[in-house]
Amino acid sequence: MKVKTFSGGYKLKRFQGQPQDKIIECDLPSEVSIPMSQGFGSELLPSVKVGDKVSRGQIIACDDNKTSSPIHSSVSGIVTAIEKKNYFKRELTMVTIKTGADDGCLKLEGATVRWDKLPNKKIEELLYKSGVSSLDREGIPTSFKTSIIGPEAVEDLIIHGVGSEAYNTSLDILLAGRNLYNFIEGIKILMKIMPKAKVHLAFNKEKKKILERIKKLTTKFTNFSIYPVVPKYPQGYDEVLVPTLLGKRFPYGYSAANIGIVVLNIQAVLKVFEAVGQGKPLIERIVSLCGPSFKENIHIKVRVGTSLEHLLKDRLKDGPCRIILNSLFTGANLNNLSLPVNRTYSQIIAIPESSQRHFLAFARAGMHTDSFSRTFLSAATTTKKIPNTNMRGDERPCIQCGYCSEVCPVAIMPTLIDRYIKLGINENLLRYGIFNCIECNLCTYVCPSKVLLGQHLKAAKIKLIEIGCDQSLCIVPRFDFKEFDEYKGVKKLR
Amino acid sequence: MKFLRKILDETGKFVKKTPALKRLYPVFEATDEFFFGTDKTTILPHVMDGMDIKRYMSFVIIALVPATIAGVYFYGLRVLAVIAVSYAFGGLVEVTFSVCRRKPLYEGFLVTGLIFPLILPPGIPLWMVAIGVVFGTLFGKEVFGGTGRNIFNPALVGRVFISLAFPEFFTTMWQKPFWGGLGGLIKFAPDAVTSATPLVNFKSAHFLTGYSSLLFGSAPGSIGETFRIGILLGGIFLIIVKIVDWRIPLSFLASVFILSFFGNIFYPNEFAPPLFQLLSGGLLFGAFFMATDPVTAPLTFSGRWIYGSLLGILTVLFRGLTGFVEGVMFAILLMNAVAPFIDNLIIDIRFKKISSSA
Repeated sequence: MKVKTFSGGYKLKRFQGQPQDKIIECDLPSEVSIPMSQGFGSELLPSVKVGDKVSRGQIIACDDNKTSSPIHSSVSGIVTAIEKKNYFKRELTMVTIKTGADDGCLKLEGATVRWDKLPNKKIEELLYKSGVSSLDREGIPTSFKTSIIGPEAVEDLIIHGVGSEAYNTSLDILLAGRNLYNFIEGIKILMKIMPKAKVHLAFNKEKKKILERIKKLTTKFTNFSIYPVVPKYPQGYDEVLVPTLLGKRFPYGYSAANIGIVVLNIQAVLKVFEAVGQGKPLIERIVSLCGPSFKENIHIKVRVGTSLEHLLKDRLKDGPCRIILNSLFTGANLNNLSLPVNRTYSQIIAIPESSQRHFLAFARAGMHTDSFSRTFLSAATTTKKIPNTNMRGDERPCIQCGYCSEVCPVAIMPTLIDRYIKLGINENLLRYGIFNCIECNLCTYVCPSKVLLGQHLKAAKIKLIEIGCDQSLCIVPRFDFKEFDEYKGVKKLR
Repeated sequence: MKFLRKILDETGKFVKKTPALKRLYPVFEATDEFFFGTDKTTILPHVMDGMDIKRYMSFVIIALVPATIAGVYFYGLRVLAVIAVSYAFGGLVEVTFSVCRRKPLYEGFLVTGLIFPLILPPGIPLWMVAIGVVFGTLFGKEVFGGTGRNIFNPALVGRVFISLAFPEFFTTMWQKPFWGGLGGLIKFAPDAVTSATPLVNFKSAHFLTGYSSLLFGSAPGSIGETFRIGILLGGIFLIIVKIVDWRIPLSFLASVFILSFFGNIFYPNEFAPPLFQLLSGGLLFGAFFMATDPVTAPLTFSGRWIYGSLLGILTVLFRGLTGFVEGVMFAILLMNAVAPFIDNLIIDIRFKKISSSA
């Protein structure tokens, strides 16, 4: 097995507050509010009314004509409100359900451990009905409209447990005990419904034990390959995984599905088995609580729709902290704790908010400071790094040190583009590959001049699109896109 | 610490209130930031690298410490006065410009102010140091728009200016260094005994100075360039901590070695042997501390290879074929001017033009 990697990127050192291998169940909240759009798919209209009695696992929103997957109630109880709320900069309908007496979870009909006897159509229906098909960036293709392509059009299926972020859900927990066998079954199910697909499993090369076990269990598989990968940030991005594993070019700005590739993470594959083999609808998530501002860094099994307040209460340390969803580099701020957990949550990170000034901050030895350069003592030791939200320096003019070009995973030169952004929006930006930027924010992180490159590039991209600059111009001619017309509203091609 | 904080707070208020001092606020701000860092918080990404420009510049200075101490040891405590003059007058120019431009005061000068005295001959009069550093910062940096925008290395601009304006000093100022015992650490300045530098010796008499005296610095030369072991250590330190890009020194030194190797075989009268070339003059100092200045070097990595190799070729040619025995200074200045062009070339090749007719 050859270790695969890409040029650029940065292997993050271990930050303090990695989730431990311990999993607990979150107690039931008194009410849940379930957003009508979760994961990949458009917003749905709820099929229940205020006052209706619903059971756990009951479908409360479903539309076979839209690109979407059904949404379930995660508790048994009574619908108390249906209202619009602001959820991650979108106005979304939320169904609020008051928890009543639990009458057991509704199982999906037809699910069986002997799934290999089922016809493909039935498996796809199970995936769709369970809501699992909405997981990950572009959904899992089924013959229902759950992704932008159908399952027969999938040429490559990438499953990854790279763990390249600063905080990752522990693979040891996800694949503990029987889960490993479930995971393999999940892969088999996916192979059955996507007959043409070659399956690629990318795995953190440091998890040798699990890798060996998976290798033993999959010796008989055809069209299946395992790649150990270096956990360099941002290896887990679709845009980086596809060129690293397959050597294909990626249509930056569009999705992997456009070139017939589906990228799934470990938890999604596990859910596939739970849906098809055990008939469980998707109403639970394993979320890891990471970062030094948590009293205890653990994994927690939580129902979809539980409010963050309920999940995090008593688990945070005192003092100001910033709560971030999924990724330290790109994640959204979770300021409003009344918002519910949905299907896409995998990590909740809390780090101390630090506007404190330090005496001679630039001259510290830095046992706990992470840095791309090796100017801190931490480069030579294995102490855990302490993250906080201080800028750690003032903005200065660019000195062309070249750090940003060195770490860029898509081989563009952020500082060059930034120079042209300052001169005004023009077509040079396209030429230097501004639309190749995948917004991983690594350039901003490593910049010693503290230039907010990532944000400048993002703002310029939005401006370019506003003035009608068509990124498809530089991307489309080189690719054979599948079902491109329907995607992202791009109808006409020049 | 609390006491200092209090003083700074009070001064800040005072400077802001007094109309006559209001323009000097950037100076106060820079001092404040120097001592207490920043209180700004991140937006995205939520964490930031611990590195900032202050640390970047301080590490270059740390790497220069061995060369500086050796300079004092060889040429007496007067060297400290030279450094002080350089910092004082260069800093004055920097402050004046930041006040006039109403822009914050940047750290870039910290390095220039130390590098400049280290590349001067030990016997240089103090007034000439002042003229050189003022000219260098003014015309090497400030006229281009300050830190980050300069095309030429300011220290080199200053040195070239005074070496062309007062050439007589640059032929007679090479004093013999102190050697043995406490050396210059207890003396103010060396005796007026001067001698020729190793490169001049080779040019005029084909005399090769011994390698050990070149390495340890007992042969005459500029203040900071003779203790070559210290320079090597400092340079390797900078490469290890990733502040200096290893491509530039490597390609620079390698191309000097290769070219002088062949030059020495075919024209032994013009070209000195490779090892002597590497260890004489300001080559090591230039390769590790001046050619690698990120602002004036190319931005692209392939550009840096080209830049380094051309630097080496130019240095050997200058040394062998012209009257200026010390070619490094001119080579670096010339290549500084070419660096943006190299960058453009590489970028043109790497990023294809998008045809609008597609």
